[in-house]
Amino acid sequence: MTTRIVLAYMIYLPLALGLTLYVARALFTNGRIFMLDIFKGRQDIANATNKLFEVGFYLLNMGFALLILKIDQGQRFEYDPVLREQVTTYTRLLDTNQEMVEALAKKIGGFAILLGVMLFLNLFLFFRGRKKSRQSMMEQPDPNVTAPAR
Amino acid sequence: MNLNLLSYALFFPTMVGIAVRVARVCHRNGRVWMLRIFDNEAPFVDAVNHILRVGCYVVNAGYIAIVLGLWEPVSTVPQMLGVLSQRIALILFTLAGLHYQNIAVLLIWSRFKHRTTLKTRTP
Repeated sequence: MTTRIVLAYMIYLPLALGLTLYVARALFTNGRIFMLDIFKGRQDIANATNKLFEVGFYLLNMGFALLILKIDQGQRFEYDPVLREQVTTYTRLLDTNQEMVEALAKKIGGFAILLGVMLFLNLFLFFRGRKKSRQSMMEQPDPNVTAPAR
Repeated sequence: MNLNLLSYALFFPTMVGIAVRVARVCHRNGRVWMLRIFDNEAPFVDAVNHILRVGCYVVNAGYIAIVLGLWEPVSTVPQMLGVLSQRIALILFTLAGLHYQNIAVLLIWSRFKHRTTLKTRTP
């Protein structure tokens, strides 16, 4: 059923892209605080880096959403007792609303979990950057303190 | 009406509602622990907390949708009730597992943090 496939795409695309927008907004409005920590309070560079990461996140995830858009024809390998051999049957695709709902649920669920993984990955990177910048701050010698005489 | 579609209509909203509720509870009560872990830096803790809540929503809703997508064909009402309760139990157990894992991470992290601060304080 081609019309049902097109309908499924029309439902899938806005949902997936909207989900990406929602997650990216949640991540990067709050990411500014991390960036300020990482770049030691320099507003301009923190905002710029945050924006760059945001665009990267959009590109990556929207690209992935489009990549997994296609709903493939299902193949099933079964033993046919009459023919006495292995036969390949093609499951008829999206003939009913039920099949459409199931296919959509699988796609959108998988994409949502991918988004969650990307979100936690980004959060992990933020934490790592913050830790590194704190370490480097501690290791840097304070210019106001003179080195002890040997 | 198709019983499969009926069970999806019952399953998805209920489960997403429960997942959102659990995420809210974690959001509200986890904040105190995170303040303890991150030395009372309130704006930072709120940012992390918000990101974590969104992550929780997205992952749980995605898992619920995948469980829905792999549903078996249902033909009678008793079978539908059985399958429905089984899947609801699966989601609830997963939520419980994630919840306890969350608590464990918070406890271990705060203990670790406390130990290191104690070490730095003692000469």
